[in-house]
This record gives sequence, structure tokens and C-alpha cells, in this order.
Amino acid sequence: MRKLLAMVIAALAILVFLFSFSFRNEGKKAAEVIIRGSGSTFLQPQLEAWIQGFLKDFKNVSIEYQGVGSGAGQEQFFKRLTDFCGSDPPLSRQTWERYRGKVLQLPIILGAVAVVYNVPELKDRCLKLDGRVLALIYLGRIEYWDDPMMRELNPGLDLPHRRITAVHRSDASGTTQIFTTFLHEAAPDLWPSDLVGKTVNWPVDGKGRGVGGKGNPGVVAALKSTEYSVGYVELEYAYREALPVAAIKNRDGNFVLPSVEAIQEAAKNALPDLPEDPSEDFSSELQAIVYAPGNGSYSITAFSHVFIRTTYSKEKTWVVREFIRWICERGSGYVVEGYVPVPEEIRNIDLRALDLVRSG
Amino acid sequence: MRDVSSRREAERLSLVRRIKDKLFLVILVVLSMAAFLPLFHIVASILYYGGWTLLRGGLSFLVDTPPSPLSSNLGGIGPALVGSAVLVFLTVILGLPLSFMAAVFTVEYPNTLVARVTKLVCRSFTEIPTVLIGVLSYTLVVIPMGRFSALAGAVALAIVMVPYSYTYMEESLASIPRTYREAAYSLGLTRPRAVFSVFTRIARRGILTGVLIGLAKAAGETAPLLFTIGGLRHAYFNGPDHPVGAIPLLIYEFALTPYRVYREVAWGAALVLIAIYLVIFVVLRRTVREVRM
Repeated sequence: MRKLLAMVIAALAILVFLFSFSFRNEGKKAAEVIIRGSGSTFLQPQLEAWIQGFLKDFKNVSIEYQGVGSGAGQEQFFKRLTDFCGSDPPLSRQTWERYRGKVLQLPIILGAVAVVYNVPELKDRCLKLDGRVLALIYLGRIEYWDDPMMRELNPGLDLPHRRITAVHRSDASGTTQIFTTFLHEAAPDLWPSDLVGKTVNWPVDGKGRGVGGKGNPGVVAALKSTEYSVGYVELEYAYREALPVAAIKNRDGNFVLPSVEAIQEAAKNALPDLPEDPSEDFSSELQAIVYAPGNGSYSITAFSHVFIRTTYSKEKTWVVREFIRWICERGSGYVVEGYVPVPEEIRNIDLRALDLVRSG
Repeated sequence: MRDVSSRREAERLSLVRRIKDKLFLVILVVLSMAAFLPLFHIVASILYYGGWTLLRGGLSFLVDTPPSPLSSNLGGIGPALVGSAVLVFLTVILGLPLSFMAAVFTVEYPNTLVARVTKLVCRSFTEIPTVLIGVLSYTLVVIPMGRFSALAGAVALAIVMVPYSYTYMEESLASIPRTYREAAYSLGLTRPRAVFSVFTRIARRGILTGVLIGLAKAAGETAPLLFTIGGLRHAYFNGPDHPVGAIPLLIYEFALTPYRVYREVAWGAALVLIAIYLVIFVVLRRTVREVRM
């Protein structure tokens, strides 16, 4: 009995000790401001790099970001649990209408989806593909690597007479959304709009030649273990795993590999179709940047966003503003491999947010 | 002649039996190896990769804050380690009394409606996907509080822990022989006194195992933490009603990225998690001896 009492007292003492931290913090509220964000897991490493760079320059502030997925991040942001949100897709028109004037959407970084393949005969030789052929492959209508349409795109290559296995994501994914948007934009007659989204009922699965993988690592694993397969992954995974990357035919008819310049050029050419101000509706932005015009644009490109509010408490306003300014001015020096900094024209949109954030 | 042949026959039979016996043993060993091999492979790869990380990072791996994906510096898992310790402590505070009292109640008053319902609910709760428990705590604790907190995480983890602890405790309390119960009461002890001074002590090993199993289940969970604790990387601890980090969450976030430094940290964190389990298990199992009856 006495032992039990001692244990209870010890537990209470530890509890009091733990709570003493909360009160100590209340006292120095003005000294340390923490702003908190959550959302896209794709953005997480890049934001972490920016946050650590920013915190080196600014003392007495702290920024925390947790990758929980774009959808959950938006929900937490609108429930006011977080101060900012990382999101791959922009807000839907409906959501934007509901929070109109209260939320700003900043296209903060660029990412791209690489089409990768595993054909032993090709070794390091670069395959050329276009939206129509990719759509037909994922529809299951092109069956062999040496299909006439494939040979027409790749006159110099000796393509084998082997069945194509099409690898895709099995989980809900922004990567799938971007890839299927590209298929729809490039071949609207073949790839209908109801096959565009985060999860898709892949027609090629019905023909028994489709394979699903969970996450980018799952797609990479399936691709590596399946000869004569083709798949799509976030660019960084293609680099990291040294997978051969296909050149994709863009709207102007050129075959382009996903390079920094090609991805930035797509963003620049999307500019006429983008709103000029972060408070406006960005819901049709993906259609603007995917399969964008321009000589050297890479077609399967997308923005990732940071959402902020228009009003914060006084201390937080300052931190949020400085953080956005820092990303625009110095962030390009802290870009992690696999991401592409937005071109200056897009940065100007983001900088406009600084005038729209008020304390109140 | 007949004698010899029957002896031969007997020898032959015994040989067959011995072969069968050996064969059975071999099959048993092979099958149990097959069951253990994946587990062994997991532990071995964590030891290998995590070991390298710990060697590279040294003691500061346990103290420092996590790295940026750009840095070649390994950093550490300090905030997550502190967060996990706080979470485990709060989970025990919430879950231990709850599961213990529920176990005592259902053993002492087995025929009441409440006891039967408790038993049924607790046993079926082990089957609930833990991500739902996280969402429950998100709705009931995080949203009303207006922020993520260690408390919300501990509530979710306690709900994960209680069914496991309860089941073990209930079984060990119920298995106390009737004669011991009657002996306690014949001394004139009141019911609470009998429960706490006699039954609890007889069943202490089972109760402890219950706490450990429940805790081990809870401490390794990621899903209930995803929407509740918020995560913390650039500070260590701001109080139980503020966001904290946790090792499983850190592993989940880092292991899924393509960046080498993140993966190294995730391996190291996994090794630390396993090491903590082992130490707690071994130490507690050694200090609390079984009661022989």
C-alpha cells in the first residue's frame, strides 16, 4: 500500500514538473513566437531546408512543419490548428469561394513527374514518348514495345517485341493527379476527364498488364523487378535510383527531358493563364502548367503551394511575412535536389502576398 | 530363428520411430525458423543500418535536433526522444489506472451487466484500426483545445493501450486460485484491502506484463499520433498541453523520403526505439519476480 502511494506521489511530481514547462512558456510569450504548418509530404523536406535556413538568420522565432498530406493539412489549416498549410494542389474553386479574402495561395516551388522505364535492350539510350502513346499504353491498347507508334517516335532505337507492363500508384497521390492531367491535356480524345484524379481505375489493369505500387518507393520497386515496364515517379526518385527517364513531347512538338530550365520554362509559359494575385482563384492552375506551350517546356510539371491567412496576431504576422520574404529572396539558395525553384515571374506573385497579410 | 527375426523387426520399427522423431524435430525447427526469419531479418537490418548511424552520430544523435535534407551533418532525434518519453509517461498515467480498475471490477463483480459490457468492449477494442482512435482524439481533444498537444496523443495512445493491458490483467487476476481468495477474506480483510494487498501482489507479474504489452503496442504506434501531437523539431519540450515530437512519427516522416541523411536518421531512430524496448522489458521482467503457488 505504501509503495503504491509513493508511486502515485512520484507520478504527480513528474506531472507537475512537465506542466511547469507550459507556464514557463506563457511568461516569455513575446520572446519566442512559434508558427506551425502542416500538409503536403512532398513539400516537407524542402520546407524543412528553408525553415532551418531561415532560423539561422532569425533568432527567437521557430517554425514547425509536419507532413500529413495535403488534404489533412488543409483541414487543419481551416480549423485554425496551424498557421500555414503546404499543399500540392491549389484550393478547389468551391473551397476558395468559401474562404475568399481570408486565404492566400502562394505557388512556392516546382516539381515534375518523370516517366521511367526498364527495358534492358535500351540500356542508357533515351526513349521518346508523347501523351498519345502513354495514354494508349495505360489504356492497354498498345501492347508491345515495338508497336508501330512506338517505332515511329523512336526511329533510331531497336525496340524489343515484348509486352509492356504499366506501373502506376496504388495509393491516392498527387503524382497520379499530375500524370493523368497530362494524359488528358495531351490526348483528350483518348484519355477522358473521368480518368483524371488522385486515384484512377486504370484500364490497363483490366487487361492484366498493369501493376500498382504504394508510394514512389513502391513504383520504383515494381519497375526495377519487372523487365519491360514503364512507370511514373516524382523526379527525385528517378535521379536517386538512376532510372532511365523518357523525353516527353511537349505542346510545341519538341521532346524534352525534365531539367531545371525545362521545368521553369513550363512555369513561365503558364503565366498568362495564372491569376496575378495570391488572393485569387488558382483552381485551374494545373491545367495551365501541365502540357504548357513553349519550345523547351517540360510537360508533366506542377506547382506546390503554401497557403497563408490574410490576418494573424501581431507577432505571427511579422514571422509569416519575413518567412515568405526570405523564401522569395534567399530560398533559391536552399533548394533541395528534386525540386525546382519558381522563376522570377512567379516569385513576384508570391511577394505580392506581403502587402496582403495584416495583423488583426 | 524366430527370436532373431522378431528382434530385427523390433529394431527396424524402433529405427523407423527414431527417424520419424528426428524428422519431426527437423520440420519443427525449419518451420519455426521460417516464422522467425522475417523478424530476424528486420531486427538484423535495423541493427546494421541503425548501428552505422549511431556510430557516425555518437551520443549527440540522441540529443541534437533533426537535420535539414541539405546538410551532410547527421543531427539527431533529441526532440522526438523527449516527446516519446513524455507520451509514454502520460499514457501510463491515463491508461494504467483505467485498465487496472476495469480488470479488478470485472473479476470481482463478474455477473453484473456493467462488468460484462466492459469485458466485451475492452476485448473487441483491440481490433479497431488505430488511425480511427487518432481521429477520435483529434475530434475530442485537439479541436476543442485549439492546438495539437502531447495530451491529445496520450489520450489516443491510452485508448490503444487499455484493451491489451486489460486483457492481461483480467486474466492474471482471474487465475488466482479460489483458496487464496478465501484465505484473504478469512483474515477479515475488506474487499479493497484484499484486492490491493493480496490479489494484486499474487498477480503482479501478469499485471506488469499487461502494462508492458499495452505500452509496447502504444509506444510503437504512428497512426494515433499523426493528427494529435503536431510534431516538434526545433525545440525540445514546451509543456504537455503543447505539441511534441515522437520517434515513430519521425521514422514515418523520414523513412518515406528519398534523402539519404533522412533515411540514416530514420534507421538510427528505429534502433534507438528497439533498444529502449529491450532495456525496459529485460529490467522490469527481472525486478518483478513471479509468485509461485
